[in-house]
Amino acid sequence: MKRLPAASGLAATAFLLAAPLFLDRGTLNDLWSLSLGVILASAWNLLGGFAGQVSLGYSAFLGIGAYTTVLLSLRGVPPFLTLPLGALLAALFSVAIGLPAFRLRGPYFTIATIGVGEAVRVSAASVAFTGGSSGLRMPSGSFDFTANFYAMAALAIFSVVLAAAVRASAFGTALAAIRQDIDAAESLGVNATRYKLLAHALSAAVVALAGSLYAINFQYIAPGSVFDFRLSLSIVLMPVVGGVGTIAGPVLGALVFSTLQIKLLAIPALRDAYLLLYGGLLILVILYEPGGLVGLLRRLTTRRQATAPEQEVPDAG
Amino acid sequence: MPAEPLLSVRDLSMRFGGLLALDAVHFDVAPGEIYGVIGPNGAGKTTLFSCLVGALAPTRGEIRLRGGRIDGLPNHQVVARGLVRTHQIVRPFRDMSVRENVSVGAHFGSGRRRGADAARRVGGILERTGLSTRADAPASTLTIGELKRLEIARALAAEPQALCLDEVMGGLNPSEILEALSLIRSLRDSGLTILMIEHHVHAVVGVSDRILVLNFGQRIAEGPPADVVRDPEVVSAYLGGDDAVPLFPEA
Amino acid sequence: MTDLATVLVNAFLAAGLYATMAYGLAVIYGVMRIINLAHAGIMMLGAYVTLTLFERFHVDPFLGLVAVGPLFYLLGVALYRVLGRSLRRSGAAPSMDSLLLLFGVWLVLQNLAYYVWSGDTQSILTGYTLKSVAILGVRVGAPSLLVFGASAASLLFLTLLLSRTYLGKAIRAVTQNRDAALLSGVDADRISAMAFGLGTAFAGLAGGMLSTLYAFTPDFGRSFLLKAFCIIVLGGMESVAGVAVGALVLALIENGLAVWTTVPTSFQDAVTFTLLFVALIAFPQGLPGLFTRLARRPVPR
Repeated sequence: MKRLPAASGLAATAFLLAAPLFLDRGTLNDLWSLSLGVILASAWNLLGGFAGQVSLGYSAFLGIGAYTTVLLSLRGVPPFLTLPLGALLAALFSVAIGLPAFRLRGPYFTIATIGVGEAVRVSAASVAFTGGSSGLRMPSGSFDFTANFYAMAALAIFSVVLAAAVRASAFGTALAAIRQDIDAAESLGVNATRYKLLAHALSAAVVALAGSLYAINFQYIAPGSVFDFRLSLSIVLMPVVGGVGTIAGPVLGALVFSTLQIKLLAIPALRDAYLLLYGGLLILVILYEPGGLVGLLRRLTTRRQATAPEQEVPDAG
Repeated sequence: MPAEPLLSVRDLSMRFGGLLALDAVHFDVAPGEIYGVIGPNGAGKTTLFSCLVGALAPTRGEIRLRGGRIDGLPNHQVVARGLVRTHQIVRPFRDMSVRENVSVGAHFGSGRRRGADAARRVGGILERTGLSTRADAPASTLTIGELKRLEIARALAAEPQALCLDEVMGGLNPSEILEALSLIRSLRDSGLTILMIEHHVHAVVGVSDRILVLNFGQRIAEGPPADVVRDPEVVSAYLGGDDAVPLFPEA
Repeated sequence: MTDLATVLVNAFLAAGLYATMAYGLAVIYGVMRIINLAHAGIMMLGAYVTLTLFERFHVDPFLGLVAVGPLFYLLGVALYRVLGRSLRRSGAAPSMDSLLLLFGVWLVLQNLAYYVWSGDTQSILTGYTLKSVAILGVRVGAPSLLVFGASAASLLFLTLLLSRTYLGKAIRAVTQNRDAALLSGVDADRISAMAFGLGTAFAGLAGGMLSTLYAFTPDFGRSFLLKAFCIIVLGGMESVAGVAVGALVLALIENGLAVWTTVPTSFQDAVTFTLLFVALIAFPQGLPGLFTRLARRPVPR
């Protein structure tokens, strides 16, 4: 059972590498979207799942990556070279928000992130430099879909590997401690603020990279698309439905959502029902299986082991 | 006090709005001492520990560890300097195993251990605190006695020079109390300085070198156990009367 | 001088609505310690219900509010009963669970609204919508005045409820000290259900009032939700007065910005959000908390 993730990871990697050779453009587009979902969900999970800090403002980082790429490309910089800069800017921005925001706990932090996300969107839509509400278009030039596809697939694999690496490291242990009991963690020497900022910056950078690739792929971005609140919410829904805090969860969640997207778009009557579906799924998950799909699978496949009799654990003071 | 005190507290006060929880408390703790802290409920004992380790920023006062000021430092920095506390109401990381819980202390305490080194230390501490058989059990399945030991194990993994134990014997049966006392003595013998808040006055009196008595946030007595339990102010604080009868005639 | 009058009058009128809107959120947080993200959806629903009453049954929107209040109270209690288990769950991450759950409810409400009423922008036009009145030399729209009247009435009702009835006292008790209240015999579940109902009722009323002032779509509600949070943070949630103060402060800042600076309207929301951010950092206890801390004289225990 332990080999399964590694084995399926390798299989998925091989599949993605070979895909452009034998799949049609339509399917490749779907795989591209799936990869995007995996990247966003896995990255968010670093802060939201591992450290337990729920941010509803991640579209800001996607937008920063996208806009950096477009703005620099319009000034003659080769698109792929803009990626590191977008990631850096997003990381810096995440620290700028995080320093004050991480002084807040739980839902207050979440609300602050909603506010930040909205402020960024509104600002981008109001400022001429970013093209205002009508957005910006990449400079016309040869757009290589295959290169973009490979970049996206590579980033998807990277984000899953990153999540696994973080989880297995001391950093990951610190994040888990922060999630479960931040004061107890501090009482053992964990500098909670530093690790929260680090997780935030890391995930922001990854999301920004995806944003840059997004801009290159769609050639046109606008505040309504890349800074949209609905994007922030789907970034949260994927890992929550899949299994927040796990490695496979975001991947499963991304799979569920991109499948839903594809199937939904196919049925005209349901095209606008995505809110209902997202909301309904969220409600169902929280009410019946907060561990998401991963939790469900674990429950179904684990045989009860004999353990010491469970004792009442007193509530933390 | 023969040598430099390890921990030195002067004029420590802590105010919460209109409530003065600690009022100009002062004391020194020598290296290698077992220093007991007792007092009726609400005397400010846990508040004192919280101020010492930086979980609370005191309203006034100075706290020195090995001569350097630590008052006002955040908790994680005080830990890095070698002062660690356990919690009166245990706070295990419930989703982690016993071993993982202790590893948090090993990784992020003053030792900042990694890899095999950390694993070795964790194993050693689990042995010492009698938790080896439960090493891979989730913390949520432990008994209260095991949880108390986990608190201590975790704190030990952070490699303190001074360990603040907050009512580690609360809820333990008499044989568990004896085990705890024996552990505390062995910890001191291996070089640790120990401060302990305890309600089991009997236990504290038996093991401490000196005892501090708090009441209403103020220091009302300090000294060897024999003296403290005879102190009339201490007796009246606990019993509420002015009997001159000592708490423990045989102490 | 007219500028000042404009700011003051408009802010004062807006504050009433804002307070109604914020109180719905405050009572739920105070009693249950959860942030109700569905608040936005409920306000939106309140707007649409008022619209339907107006267009289908020709009921004046302000009269319609009389029906909206009780109707939404029942809706709130029903919602609490259905979701209750997860809302009450305590432990490591209660806030995330309930936060996401109510978020889900908001999304569902939005989609239902799209289905029932379509995504077209709606507005309510009555015979008096375009009429205006002069107050202290400032021209004020008739709906704004009526909204102020309606919110003043509901806040008065609320104050009476809180001070004269068992429910009100229980709510105040649980908000201030949950453990003590429970020990005194307050039935947490029943009070939570009623508080949720009350919060929903006020959200619905606020939505109904908003529908007379603004055009709306099912997406409407988010910026008002954030305003409501801002108000709670500024004013604390211990009392109706605190919420009213927070509402007034926010309204003054918004109107002040509109009149005295050249900040474009679209940016105003960004300013509100920044204010929320700053407020959350600087005043975790809200302004009343700040005053309490300054005023209390230290007393040795």
